Amino acid sequence: MIKDVSIGRYYQADSVIHRLDPRVKVFLFIVYMVTFFMADTAIAMITAFAVILYLTFLSRIPVMEVLKSVRPIVFIMLFIFVLNLFTIRTGEELWSWGILKITDEGLRRAIMLSFRLFLLILVTGLLLSLTTTPLKLADALESLGAPLKVIHVPVNEMAMTISIALRFIPTLVEETDKIMKAQSSRGAEYDTGNVFQRAKGYVTVLVPLFVSAFKRAEELATAMDARCYRGGVGKTKLHPLRMTKADYLWMVLLTATAFLPILVDLLWKIK
Amino acid sequence: MADDIKELGDYSQAVVGEDLIFSYTTNTGSDVLAVDHVSFSIKRGEYVAVLGRNGSGKSTLAKLINLLEYPDEGKLKVFNLSAQDDDNFWTIRSHCGMVFQNPDNQIVGTTVEEDVAFGPENLSVPLPELAQRVQKALGYVGLLEKADKQPSSLSGGQKQKLAIAGVLAMQPQILILDESTSMLDPKARDEFLQLVARMRADKNITVIHITHDMHEAFLADRVLVLEHGKMRIFDTPQEVFSQVELITELGLELPKWAELLWEVAALCDVKVEKSAFTSEEKAIEEIGKILRNKKSDLKKSSLSEKTPLSEQIVLKVTGLSHSYDKKEQKAISDIGFDLRKGEILAVIGHSGSGKTTLISHLNGILRPLEGQVEVLDESTGTMISTAKNSEIKKIRKHVGLLFQYPEHQLFEDTVEKDIMFGPKKMGYSEERCKELLMESLPLVGLSEDVLKRSPFELSGGQKRRVAFAGVLAMNPDVLILDEPAAGLDPVGQREIFGYIQTLKEKGKSIVLVSHDMDKAAMIADRILVLKKGEQAFFGTPRELFSDKTDFVRMRLERPLLMNTMLKLKEEFPYADEFEFDVKRAAISLVNGSEEVSSS
Repeated sequence: MIKDVSIGRYYQADSVIHRLDPRVKVFLFIVYMVTFFMADTAIAMITAFAVILYLTFLSRIPVMEVLKSVRPIVFIMLFIFVLNLFTIRTGEELWSWGILKITDEGLRRAIMLSFRLFLLILVTGLLLSLTTTPLKLADALESLGAPLKVIHVPVNEMAMTISIALRFIPTLVEETDKIMKAQSSRGAEYDTGNVFQRAKGYVTVLVPLFVSAFKRAEELATAMDARCYRGGVGKTKLHPLRMTKADYLWMVLLTATAFLPILVDLLWKIK
Repeated sequence: MADDIKELGDYSQAVVGEDLIFSYTTNTGSDVLAVDHVSFSIKRGEYVAVLGRNGSGKSTLAKLINLLEYPDEGKLKVFNLSAQDDDNFWTIRSHCGMVFQNPDNQIVGTTVEEDVAFGPENLSVPLPELAQRVQKALGYVGLLEKADKQPSSLSGGQKQKLAIAGVLAMQPQILILDESTSMLDPKARDEFLQLVARMRADKNITVIHITHDMHEAFLADRVLVLEHGKMRIFDTPQEVFSQVELITELGLELPKWAELLWEVAALCDVKVEKSAFTSEEKAIEEIGKILRNKKSDLKKSSLSEKTPLSEQIVLKVTGLSHSYDKKEQKAISDIGFDLRKGEILAVIGHSGSGKTTLISHLNGILRPLEGQVEVLDESTGTMISTAKNSEIKKIRKHVGLLFQYPEHQLFEDTVEKDIMFGPKKMGYSEERCKELLMESLPLVGLSEDVLKRSPFELSGGQKRRVAFAGVLAMNPDVLILDEPAAGLDPVGQREIFGYIQTLKEKGKSIVLVSHDMDKAAMIADRILVLKKGEQAFFGTPRELFSDKTDFVRMRLERPLLMNTMLKLKEEFPYADEFEFDVKRAAISLVNGSEEVSSS
């Protein structure tokens, strides 16, 4: 049933990475982004891939599941590959046909860039989407964003909004299903006709869905008021984020790991 | 705790309102006096039921108490603190808990425990007390093992218990229930009410319960009735329900036993003392007295014979099974029944018994995995099966389906367009669509002047009618109605059941899903009982409630009227406990006694 639709691709498992404080994961994510961008030799890339394999091992997620997270961007990877392949004209010519020309530099850059993207997606999956629930992620952003409150960014409210949105996704999916069934009973068809007819057909779903979403929002606001909601002021938390010794330890260790590709590359060059 | 929340002092009156006035401006710009010069006081620990028609100002009055709204005029004291004093705001609100009607629209948390924590978190309750309160509240309502589950995985009844737990964790002194039971099935409703009773006994909580259910009102210490924002009466349920004329005038209902007494007295032309309406025992005693002392020359009312079932089958279901997921257990299995022309078939079962799955098969929204659903095509006299894709459109022309809360499916900018959506999709000509539209309006008591209005500016009851008309305008022979009266006030409910009766008389065949046992037994020719996806019973109401069938095992309750009639049967053996209509039951009592006395 469509009720089971979940947001993101969280993969339930009990691993070091799953248990890690989400703020550490956000921090690590940024570190990995930077170091992976700095890696631009073959040896660095290979080391980076080894690091990814190590993270996969730590996360206890099957390799196939991790690879699946790349699927949605395969097209973009190909696009970047082809674009670089044909637009970089420096270096030795390998092949040409009319105005099309491939150079060894172009080929190298094309492989590098698309492979780097591939690695970045894997790291995003391993550190964030696969191992962190959206709610934890919202918590982390709320906590890390706390300094922004000084310049009047409503950090708590934004986190609350995200968490309510997450809470209502299953409810609205269920509601969509119900409305579609009701309209089908009145003769509406959603799977026939051309694109425009179909889009028009969805008006019969979207209007009631929006009306009900607004009504729900209003009722929810009243219910939140009744339960004394007053923004983030003085609000305590049932599960506050707390850094443990293990969190600090893994943070240091995994940050060090993030610099491995650059280090290995450096050593290679010195030699 | 937040420092703007004070400890409550000693107080004896939970709420005191003096001359309260509250008005608001509607979308269309007119001012509505929602609360009109209302004065009342509610004692600490008291259980007060608030009754009144939809739009009579019940919810607004409740919202004044926990300061979700401010009165325009008048004085309001809660816990002996002035509600108009801003310093008392958080103290008052934090000690008032409120549970709303729709379980889905009051859950904030992404998990069950986080939802319970939401209130105390806002009150700045620190750890570890916060965690203890959550644990205790979840344990109290029996949801401890669901603590880390998503709220969407709970049933309706569990969601309302979660809402109670969320309030309980704030340690309230007043609990306001705003039609909190109206979307629950009878079993979940009983559990919910028991929970409230337990909270009152354990914690001396003041309860203010807005409801349309008269049997719930009878649980209260006092009943407050509102009409157009004015308080009409505020007294014990016994006193309130003994004023039968007033009750009818206010659009409320009597409990079944009181209705029976009223009808018997009317038939025998006797005046009844008010005191007879105070409890079922007294009413039964009084009915006995009336029957014993009845004049012998009383005109006999005739009891019309029920028309026998037609032989013509319009819908046939055989060996129907369905499961949503192959791994899961079946949602329904091996269902088989038929529907005759002009029949009302009631489908009864608890939430999750497969009712929605079953009715979704009847017009081909779901196709059978096993078994068959066939519909009579009256023009050719042949049965057509929902298994064939090419026949689906035809089937939907013959079988109209109205889901629960159908007003949620309205989408056009005028009522006229919305009602005509179905007929147009069925391929009728513009003129025929207009005709069908005009024919459908009177069937649900709508007048032509709503046609040009937007459906979204109508009242809840009106919207329901427009949605109903939208299905009727497709001119189906068979109507499938899922809880068509749910959430309406007693008058609204009576009207909907009146329309259904008229449709039956016009030869429409109707499948009615309902959890109101009294209504189902009264209106249905036959009843189908579903239990955990299986067909537990199919037959007449008389057969269902006779001792031969094991309806207790099916976890069904007897109709309330039947309970009263069974008690009367002890003295008057001719009392027919299988008359499920109050009028007919009364006539059977009065007529029957005459036969005995003359023999």
